[in-house]
Amino acid sequence: MTASAGRILILLALLVSAAGAMAGFAAGRSGSAAGWRVTRGLAYAFAALMAAANGLMVWALLARDFSVSYVAHVGSRSIPDWVAFVSLWSSLEGSILFWGLVMGVYVTVATRANRDRHPEYMPYACAVWLACGTFFSFLLAGPAQPFLTVPNPPPDGPGPNPLLQNHVLMIVHPPFLYLGYVGMTIPFGLASAALLRGRLGQDFLRPLRNWLLLPWIFLTVAIVLGAWWAYEVLGWGGYWAWDPVENASFLPWLTATAALHSALLTERKGVLKGWTVTLVLASFLLTILGTFMTRSGVFNSVHSFTQSAIGPTILGFLALALVWSVWLLATGIDRFSTEGRLEGAASRDGMFLANNLLFVLFTFTVLIGTVFPLVVEATKGVQMSVGRPYFDRMAVPIGVALLLLMGVGPALPWGRATAAQMKAALLPPLAGGLLAAAVGAALGVRQPWTLVALSFGGYTAQVTLRELWRPVARRRALGAALGEAVLDAQVRRGRRRAAAYVVHAGAALAVVAIAVSSTMGTSKELQLREGDTATVGAYTLTFVKAEELREPHRSALVARIHVARGGRDLGVLTPRMNQYESQREPVGTPAVRTSLFEDLYLSVMNIDPGQGTLGLLAMVNPMVAWIWGAAAVMALGGLAALVPSRGVAPAAVRAGAPSPASSRVPAQG
Amino acid sequence: MKTVLAVVAVTVALAAAAAAQGTGEDPAQVVGAPRGPRLEGPALDARAKEIAGLLRCPVCQGLSVGDSPSTMASNMRAQVKDLAAAGYDQEQILAYFERSYGEFVRLKPPLRGVNWLVWLAPAFGLLAGAAVIAWALRAPRLVADAAPPTGAALPGPDTLPDDPSLARYVLRVRERAYGWPGGMAPRPDAPPADTV
Amino acid sequence: MAASAGSPAVQTPARASLNRRVLLLGLVVVAALLAVLLLNLGRDPHSIRSPLVGRAAPAFSLPPVGGGAPVTSESLRGRPLVLNFWATWCAPCIEEHETLVSTARALGRDVQFLGVVYEDEEDRVQVFLRRHGSSYPSLLDPDAKTAIAYGVAGVPETYFIDAAGVIRAKVAYPLSPEAMAENIRKVRP
Repeated sequence: MTASAGRILILLALLVSAAGAMAGFAAGRSGSAAGWRVTRGLAYAFAALMAAANGLMVWALLARDFSVSYVAHVGSRSIPDWVAFVSLWSSLEGSILFWGLVMGVYVTVATRANRDRHPEYMPYACAVWLACGTFFSFLLAGPAQPFLTVPNPPPDGPGPNPLLQNHVLMIVHPPFLYLGYVGMTIPFGLASAALLRGRLGQDFLRPLRNWLLLPWIFLTVAIVLGAWWAYEVLGWGGYWAWDPVENASFLPWLTATAALHSALLTERKGVLKGWTVTLVLASFLLTILGTFMTRSGVFNSVHSFTQSAIGPTILGFLALALVWSVWLLATGIDRFSTEGRLEGAASRDGMFLANNLLFVLFTFTVLIGTVFPLVVEATKGVQMSVGRPYFDRMAVPIGVALLLLMGVGPALPWGRATAAQMKAALLPPLAGGLLAAAVGAALGVRQPWTLVALSFGGYTAQVTLRELWRPVARRRALGAALGEAVLDAQVRRGRRRAAAYVVHAGAALAVVAIAVSSTMGTSKELQLREGDTATVGAYTLTFVKAEELREPHRSALVARIHVARGGRDLGVLTPRMNQYESQREPVGTPAVRTSLFEDLYLSVMNIDPGQGTLGLLAMVNPMVAWIWGAAAVMALGGLAALVPSRGVAPAAVRAGAPSPASSRVPAQG
Repeated sequence: MKTVLAVVAVTVALAAAAAAQGTGEDPAQVVGAPRGPRLEGPALDARAKEIAGLLRCPVCQGLSVGDSPSTMASNMRAQVKDLAAAGYDQEQILAYFERSYGEFVRLKPPLRGVNWLVWLAPAFGLLAGAAVIAWALRAPRLVADAAPPTGAALPGPDTLPDDPSLARYVLRVRERAYGWPGGMAPRPDAPPADTV
Repeated sequence: MAASAGSPAVQTPARASLNRRVLLLGLVVVAALLAVLLLNLGRDPHSIRSPLVGRAAPAFSLPPVGGGAPVTSESLRGRPLVLNFWATWCAPCIEEHETLVSTARALGRDVQFLGVVYEDEEDRVQVFLRRHGSSYPSLLDPDAKTAIAYGVAGVPETYFIDAAGVIRAKVAYPLSPEAMAENIRKVRP
């Protein structure tokens, strides 16, 4: 009953989205307002149907209705309700269903916000969105059906993968990831519309930019949440292993960041429209590639869902989307008008180009590294690996170069600069760089790359602070009070600019924190008996006892460890090994004590309460919490940039049609 | 007496040989005699950890032998440590595992054959990208002229610049900033512009 | 953003254009990417092919379960050898145990069967063998050095070695009687 209702909803969603896509393309060609209205209605209907299907599934999961195939697959009577709710996205079919929900919400908001604007673009954009919606509905109706009827419903189910029940971050990481991934569909549609029209006007750049920024924020948070989750759950003490699925989430982030910068250049100078649009299209295409990598079973990964028939279908859609994008670019790119000119390399324009070069290079490198084993397999039949050592070797120079660029770029002026201007812009922040390097060296940093990262970080920090201060100083020079100056410069008028610098500050902090945490940690493998004491870093660990713990859905072997530092008692940490009923292998949960400057990380390697022995991996990881904090800063900066700044209202200037001689457009900070 | 001593000596030698063999296979048969010095203490730990980071744990997904918590990985770590202590260098130890598990077990693609592609591709990409940018900056369409226009080339309220793309730009600015439809100044007797 | 009044003026796009360079470059990249992904579909990335097939089997000298002198690979030269890595905690190993025992019994002295215990304890193995019976010895490999030398990544894994000591086949799944017969043919023509 529930299963059939779900199937009907999905089928309707498929029909509605297909109809909406066709209506949108027709409305775009004919320019009919009625056609646009119909398209909008179909878009809202698609969203409503997806929401209903998801609601039905959540109800079935909570009610433990094992007649629904997905519930029989991941549901269980012995799991708490919040786990049952979260299992909506824990396995393949449910995750596609959730994808549909997020897409419906995005399409609704984007359509509604623009229902009276950009009439020459919107029907096309909506059509493209609904075409993507059609594909995902098709997946749900065909290869990845969550609502199959189970003829003899079992009394109980296996529950979701235990790794996914281990930590609260599992609740938040996938939704953010979907908000980021699915969100890239919206700018894809907008960019497609621009290419179909052969125009990308200034007015349309704004929604394109904003609808790229929103998923970018979610994706930034999602990637860092994934790293945080891996750190807190997997027990090897690191947060990024360049696993194919981690790379899948990272690739669209890289191109989207490049696109955001390119869009800024397009907005300022009216150049590089085709390139910006290419990057936007690439960001979406990489999310489809990423979905394929996660679900097809082709890649050997920590993260892979089970192999299924869904792979070829997604590959087919990827092929379609790729060909569509290439065709659009080939036919549309020459129709874009170039309205301005770039300055040469030694200006901020040139630095934007350098930014794009580095981000695209980064994308290319990560993509090549991830796909290369497949190439070798297909051509030579040899199985080989491209692992962390390769990616680290490539990522470090690029990351450090980007860190420097975040300082040099904003320091340089927009136009062609004289030698004196360049000296005045580029030399003073060296002080910040030297200071940071000196502090690092004093604290024991000896690795060359880490010192370089620290010095570049200090340089960039000084530039960023200086740029944040400049508009405030200018207003103060004109007589404003400090508070008023800050409010006006950073909150009222220059919000986008200030927000961008906040994001840069967060990014610089993240790069430096990653550099320090990867190179300045200590780690020890300890074999302890009950009562033994050991030291790692500045911490003294005492293994008190190993005990067994029973919980409703799992049993655990817990090691109680007293932690002290410098004589001060810091409490008890309890890393554990969990044994879930449905799994043969136990799953370890590390214990992490986070403080401002470092984490104490304890992970159980082997434990025996009967003998009172413990094999413990003890690590001190510096500056890890700063990575999570930096990501929050980036996200907040991004959100601040989304809120529109109060610019010069055209209506205020219009009264009396002033002549150009008497009116002045205020200078931007 | 001499016979007894000889027998004892041979037995001791055999026992020593057996102990040196461990469970049977001599790694030197696979990768040649140890090329480096025997290691011990912190130097041994550091070297073993470094090499363990370059080996892929065959039972886990993508983790290195150094990072993996599985029993197989800890056995492999112990084997790495034994080989390093005996003086085998990094390449020999990696080759030893490669003999058993294939190239798959090396996390860093070794520099042979087609693997050169993956190591050189980023450098090629960088050069290609830089070349594209250099070409783009040189194209007259995109790069600004050396000197900005002066005098007659600047637009007045009733004139437009000669350059058509510049003229379009000026028209659009006027349209947006002043609300002049089409960017043309409204005639004094014309009805007021639409409120937008 | 203000909306434009009245019905939208549809701007007919400027003359249709086709940038051949973009088209060509794009299609080349797309074709390459799709080809790589397509060719790898259906392949199981978790199955690792053994590089040892066709090469000399690594030497070993392991003590048998229950004590006694170590069994060396040298001493087994001259007869085909079936080397089966297994453990008592491994359900598929228990499945194939019957096949192994009966085949060993049937072939008698023609083919030597040996089990190697992987990540398990001697007393548990002895209990298992007493319960399920055995027709060939099992050896202990406590530090897994031999498992590593053979490239074992899980259990069960079975190596079929010919009389000259060259590995002719490796099977990484539980052996059915048919698979057993097929692989025995490779070492005992």
